[in-house]
Amino acid sequence: MRADFVAAVESVLVGDPRGLFLSGDLGFNAFEGLAARLGSRFINAGVAEQSMIGLAAGFAITGMRPWVYSIAPFVTYRCLEQIRNDVCLHHLPVRIVGNGGGYSYGVMGPSHHALEDLAVLKVLPNLQLFFPCASDQVAAAVGLLAGLDAPCYLRLAVSAYDTPRVALSEHPRTLTRSYALRADPGKPGVTVIGAGHAVQIALRALREHGLDRENADVFGIARFPIDLAQDSGLLASVRETQNVVFIEEHYAAGGMGESMKFALPPLSDFSLMSASYHPEQRYGSAQFHMKQAELTPEALVALVRTKLGSS
Amino acid sequence: MTDCMEPAALARAALAIRRKFLDMHYHARSGHLGSGLSAIEILTYLYSGWLRETDEFILSKGHGASALYATLHHFGKLSDAELATYYQDGTLLPAHPAPRAIRAIPVATGSLGHGLPIAAGMAHSYKYLRQTDARVACLLSDGECNEGSTWEAALFASHHSLDNLTVLVDANGIQGFGRTNDVLRLEPFAQKWQAFGFHVSECSGHDFAQLHAAIGPPGNGRPRCIIARTVKGRGVSFMEDTVDWHYWPMSAAQYDQAIAELDQSESELSR
Repeated sequence: MRADFVAAVESVLVGDPRGLFLSGDLGFNAFEGLAARLGSRFINAGVAEQSMIGLAAGFAITGMRPWVYSIAPFVTYRCLEQIRNDVCLHHLPVRIVGNGGGYSYGVMGPSHHALEDLAVLKVLPNLQLFFPCASDQVAAAVGLLAGLDAPCYLRLAVSAYDTPRVALSEHPRTLTRSYALRADPGKPGVTVIGAGHAVQIALRALREHGLDRENADVFGIARFPIDLAQDSGLLASVRETQNVVFIEEHYAAGGMGESMKFALPPLSDFSLMSASYHPEQRYGSAQFHMKQAELTPEALVALVRTKLGSS
Repeated sequence: MTDCMEPAALARAALAIRRKFLDMHYHARSGHLGSGLSAIEILTYLYSGWLRETDEFILSKGHGASALYATLHHFGKLSDAELATYYQDGTLLPAHPAPRAIRAIPVATGSLGHGLPIAAGMAHSYKYLRQTDARVACLLSDGECNEGSTWEAALFASHHSLDNLTVLVDANGIQGFGRTNDVLRLEPFAQKWQAFGFHVSECSGHDFAQLHAAIGPPGNGRPRCIIARTVKGRGVSFMEDTVDWHYWPMSAAQYDQAIAELDQSESELSR
């Protein structure tokens, strides 16, 4: 998603003299062109995330609209209080971009994984979260962020199960995508909802593991707060199936699944597939971690079949 | 002195602000007296003319808010009615500055180490992006210089030659639970700021002539740091240089004594 982000943010910033870009000393082989185009509006703030968020708040107070970029765990946990006090409490248009949501950074190790970022950020006042489902959604998300006069967070990620697939529809404001529809709405079905790039697990399952033969609707959500009043298709699907599998590359506690369950009408059958570490945790690629957490296409299909009694 | 006031007038202003400050704290039964009293001359100097309409002031030591409120009130930037709400339910003037509350205070603070990064961002924006001649002043406590984020921002300000940024440190030598020399030694403090690339001056933070000389004209390619040596609780003998008065509110007898001491100072001033 990073290349798509760079292209999108460059086109926004070139046309917005009030925009500027702060990087926490990241961008090798990615931001060189952006830096050249922006000149003095591209600032490497150094390896200093707390200061970088405060600086961004200062820029915003003077009327600028800063984007702030680093690896997701670094630009969230280290500087959480700066995000809360300096940005959110002041309702400033600071756009925080974290690369490497979930297990994206794989064998770089747990310092680089972001499995709690949405949890710690979703509780902050005035902050809006964006977590694109796929690379081809990043430009739309960047466009929405750019138009908001509010604090926001953009979670970029690479799925270990990345599976290009054209969405059937995408809501222009919530960005919620429909990827597949039940073959027979008259029969028992299931609504599969992926949070951001976790929907790629379902897309892989559709293409290679037989999810397409189950009676499943597949949606990807990409924005918090969840707004089901706008996402009428998703809400209708859940009302009809009364049966949900929610997938997220994030811990269950505080994740989007929890928020979705709270937003939906009471359901008897809401299953959650989420990230985890184990007491005997070992480290490896993103896919290695997802297999350990049973966050895989195979596990999804098995769960769907169990829920539908079709196994 | 400043553009509009002479030393004697500044001293009278500081005395009036101290009086209002004590009055506010007595009626609110609020603490943080010591850290407000140490900053009053610094705030008086800045607001009596150093800060122009286009300039910004960031109170990074948010626990000095009541001294700032009293100063803003003295210089007509807060009304009697607004100030009367200090510390009361429904106020926009809590013990530490609130966000988006009053125009004269652009930034909420209270957690230490936040003000200088914000001030540096504003100064960079004014100098390089908005290209105005606006200046930014930021008042830190010395205890606040324990915070790593303060030094992150110092690196940034120096690297970007933010000579429109003036850092003032209210160096009263006492922090939350002890003397700075005992908790986390800052000395050699001036050399630290110098090593970070600042133009550094030291002065008494209660002497207007010294403050004036130390702040001086805008720095030449470098941010400035003025280490203002102050006395915590300055102006009220029994509050001076103690940790206790970081916390206690005043009793009626203590308030009466404090006011009597200010009366004495005032009569000495008019001699």
